[in-house]
Formats: sequence, structure tokens, C-alpha cells
Amino acid sequence: MVNIRFLAVYLSLVVGLVLMILPLPDWVQAYRPNWVALILVYWSMALPKKVGLWFALVAGLLVDTLHGTLLGQHALALVVIIYINLNLYQRIRVLSLAQQSFYVFSLLFINQVLVTWVEGIMGRPTTLEGFFGAPVIGMLIWPWAFVILRDIRRKAMLG
Amino acid sequence: MKQIVNQTRVATVHTLFLVCFCIALMIVDHRFNHLEVVRSNISLVLSPLRYLVSFPAMAGNWVSEWFTAHTDLLEDNSKLRSDVRLLNARLQKMKVLQEENTRLRNLLGSSRKLADQVVVAELLSVDQNPYRQLIEINRGSADGVFIGNAVIDDFGIMGQVIHTNLHSATTILISDPDHATPVQFIRSGVRSVAFGNGNTDQLEIPYLPATADIQIGDELVTSGLGGRFPADYPVATVSSIHEDLTLGFVSVVAVPKARLDSSREVLVIKPRL
Repeated sequence: MVNIRFLAVYLSLVVGLVLMILPLPDWVQAYRPNWVALILVYWSMALPKKVGLWFALVAGLLVDTLHGTLLGQHALALVVIIYINLNLYQRIRVLSLAQQSFYVFSLLFINQVLVTWVEGIMGRPTTLEGFFGAPVIGMLIWPWAFVILRDIRRKAMLG
Repeated sequence: MKQIVNQTRVATVHTLFLVCFCIALMIVDHRFNHLEVVRSNISLVLSPLRYLVSFPAMAGNWVSEWFTAHTDLLEDNSKLRSDVRLLNARLQKMKVLQEENTRLRNLLGSSRKLADQVVVAELLSVDQNPYRQLIEINRGSADGVFIGNAVIDDFGIMGQVIHTNLHSATTILISDPDHATPVQFIRSGVRSVAFGNGNTDQLEIPYLPATADIQIGDELVTSGLGGRFPADYPVATVSSIHEDLTLGFVSVVAVPKARLDSSREVLVIKPRL
């Protein structure tokens, strides 16, 4: 873990966290893709032995603190999708980028459902456009995120 | 093959454990205050990210200030000068009134204090969660900001502090769906509670008696009940009144006075003990 090459993983997650709180105009706000989820899904697909559930938990807690949500809300959702990913990555890795996008959409959607569910249990109002919009934007971004993160992984000679 | 099967089973047990852990964490966070320390510590670690994110806006301000034309500055300066003169004049009168007020209060034996201590703070970031209305300010426990302190801008009440770190604090806005502000109508003196509904330009005051004396344009101030907000700070102006005759209640929608979505400089009010 102290491996200096592994820094690439941490740095990409920090960039993801920054993108999660970057100020955006109000109307785009709801469509902000879950960057941390995208980046985590990539790394857990590329380095399943190293980036797994604990990463998801810690990243989720960081997102919760940044967003002011309940501690554990995003963490729960991320743990669940990374668990699904850890069980399916061998079959997904061989698919084309376009096919992978649909898989990523379903992961992001599950993530969204879990986060929104907790909001609902606490009786907070939720918006419909973000519910479907954010995972769709995430799906469209996946091919680019994948290519960029793969280049980073190759530069860092990981995996 | 056997090894793969084994691995998935371990991951499943592991996941179930973490899911239970997260659920427990959420319940504890929702019901109790024990996790306040954890949250503020994580927040402290993440504060460079918040500064990083607000840097472009700060740099933009700085650059535009640097390149402001000389004439604009002169114009600004003279305007500010005249403003200061005007405010000073008002302040003189205010001082007399304040003294008179204290004297009268002393006569009446009332213990209410007038002046409050304030800390000037700047907006650090706005929480991006569309379901919450939280802002982060750049003063924390090291500057004497505590949980429960009221936050105002130059137009009215904005909200109250709910988490503090060493050098920053989270403030819940009065328009957050989880927030309620004890208010009083200035004109009629009716007391009530104003709830946020998630829009920065609306507060709701439900369940007022149908006979209550309320008109569109009435001003709302804090009533000082509940012990969080000091009394008599402007909160909102009534914009519409909905009567539901079947229930015998009136509900009122009011527009907050404070510019909840655009103020950058805020004041934190510390109650005098």
C-alpha cells in the first residue's frame, strides 16, 4: 500500500472528490455525475485485489462529510456497487466500452436509488430529474473516464 | 475455480458486515450527536479541498479588484463616503434611542440585552447536495463560533451554525427543509414558526388560525423564543396567504429577507451571556 505508484489511485480519488463539490449553476446541480463512484468502479475493475470494499467505505464517508449527508449514506451505496462490481468484473472487462457504459449506468443507478432511499426515509424532498439524469450523464462520461484512467494506470505501471 | 468461489463468499460476508456498519452509523448520526467529533475531524482533513474549490472564485474577485479602473474606484469611494456619512447620522440617533431603550427597560426591570457580539465571516462553499441547504463559512471554534450561533447577512437572518471545526463551520439556512425559525409578525404581534421548504426564496408558515391578523407585505422578525435566534432580527416578508376553509387554518408563504443564495459576507451573532 505504501507503493508510490499507488498514489495514482489516491490522487484520482481526490480529483473525484473535488469534482463532487465543484460549484455548478443550480440547474446543472442535479445532473452532476457521481465522479467518486465512476473512479472507484474503474479501479476496482482494474485492481480488484487492492481497491475493494474498504476503499468504497472510506471514499463514501468522505463524500458524506463533503455533502453534509448522514455519515454512511454514500458509503453504504458505494460498498454495495463495489461488491457487485467485484463479483462481475471478470465478465465486464472483456466487453466493449459502449457495452460497459450500460453496466456502469446500472451501478450508478443502484447507487442513486440507495442514496435517495435514505433521503426518503428521513422525509427529505427529492428531485426526479437528478434521480435518472445523474446516472445517465455518468454513463455518457464512462468511456472517457475509462480511457483517461487507463492511461494513468499505464503511466503509473500499476497492475 | 474453487478459489474464486471462496473469494466471493468472503466478499459477501465482508459486504454484509460493512452494510450493517453503515446502517448503524447512519442511525447513530441521525439520532445522536456522538459522531460530531468524527465529522469535524474528517472535515478538517478535507478543508484544503474546499479551499481549492473556492479558489477560482476568490482569484476572480481578486483579479477584478486589481484591474478596476481608477474612475470606478473614485466613484465607489465617494459613494461609500456618502453612505458612511448617512449611516453615521442614523447611528447617532440610534445611540440615543438605544440608551433611552435601556433606561426604559431598566425602569421596567426587564433583563433583555440589546447589543450582540458579532464575528465577521466569509462564505467558503455551498454544499452541493440538492436536498440540503447548507453553507460553509470560514470561521470556526478557534474564532469563538459555536453550535447554535445565529448567522445573518446585511438584510436578515440566514441560518444557524450546526457543525464547527477549528477554522470553519457549517451553517444550516432557514430555507432548509429540516429548519424551523421562531418568528413574530411585526404589525400584529402574532407568533409562529417558519419552516424552510428547500427553495431559497420561500418560507412556509402553516397552521395559523383563520382569524389571525395577517396581510400580504407583513414583515416577520425573529421572536427570540426557542433560545437560538436573538429577538427582533428581520426574517421575511409575507408574499401570499392561502386559506383552507375546510380546515380552519391559514398557511402563509414568505420571502426571506436575507439573500440566501448570493451573500458572500455574513455575520455570526454570539449571544451575550
